[in-house]
Amino acid sequence: MTETLHVKRREGIGSRAARRLRRQGQVPAILYGHKEENIPLSVPVGEIQAAVRHGARHVTLQGDVQEEALIREIQWDTWGLEILHVDFQRVYAGERVQVEVAIHLRGEAPGEREGGHVEQVLHEVEIECSATEVPEELIMRIHDLHVGQTLTVADLSVPPGVKVLADPDTPVVHCEAITEEEEEELEAPAPGPSEPEVIGRKKKEEEEAQED
Amino acid sequence: MAMMPKRVKHRKVQRGRIRGKATRGNRVVFGEYGLQAVQGGWISAQTIEAGRIAAQQYLRHEGKLYIRIFPHKPITSIPLETRMGKGKGEPEYWAAVVKPGTILYEVGGVTEQAAKLCLARVAYKMPVKVRFVRRLPTT
Repeated sequence: MTETLHVKRREGIGSRAARRLRRQGQVPAILYGHKEENIPLSVPVGEIQAAVRHGARHVTLQGDVQEEALIREIQWDTWGLEILHVDFQRVYAGERVQVEVAIHLRGEAPGEREGGHVEQVLHEVEIECSATEVPEELIMRIHDLHVGQTLTVADLSVPPGVKVLADPDTPVVHCEAITEEEEEELEAPAPGPSEPEVIGRKKKEEEEAQED
Repeated sequence: MAMMPKRVKHRKVQRGRIRGKATRGNRVVFGEYGLQAVQGGWISAQTIEAGRIAAQQYLRHEGKLYIRIFPHKPITSIPLETRMGKGKGEPEYWAAVVKPGTILYEVGGVTEQAAKLCLARVAYKMPVKVRFVRRLPTT
């Protein structure tokens, strides 16, 4: 999915200028890649938020700079609400790029009805694909996942033209049986020592005892 | 038994100050939904445990709960009816130092509605204001 962003070149560099820019409804950004000049830009906050919300990775920059780019990195504030900065990487139309995409589970695992619970251990995977056709997400269908089974990267539904770079044996999701230990742990956890061991203390005490 | 370190370098530490916002541990990483502290503070091991039990009782056998904080800090206190002085008190409990923005708990493998209800129960137990958060989009 491609979105169009109207960018402006920005003059000010540094945190104060960036903060001033954010107050004006712009997000500081940078355009780099292909061993060409790095260009500091600013993007309207509404446009970049919409692009992120729509899952766009490939964008067309218009305005002071007219290029095709890939959203390479987004910096968020502490609360994950506001975008602080965006990295754009220059790409050609047919260029193949390496990006991380999210893995989403689809369907209901029969293992859940058999008394297990499904745990997703890998949420993102690195892929190689055409810059203009970066998938929003990769789908993992779990309708055949029974208790004790694991689905790996090799089981992902990958669109044509996309190559997964991760090891095919890397586990993505597994369904594990709920053990009785977990239930016991919920009610009354095992008692432990009241105070932790102090590193170096025993040695000193032993040395003192030997000296005496 | 509440969480506690196995080995420590010092039995007692100074109180310290909580300054600034969390720049690490502020993203949902393991699950899909999380509980993020809006204020800073100390969260005792007992409170962390209370939150865990509240969440587990709601989740039962569905989903997975992740605790993202650990009580590394020994908190000392002086016994009642004791004259001031005579050195620092004895360690009473352990606490996690939480900066605003820290993710306290995460939940995975459940629907958003279930995660909200689960983490709302945990939020009641917390001594700091918290908010429900989701995983950020991948870039």
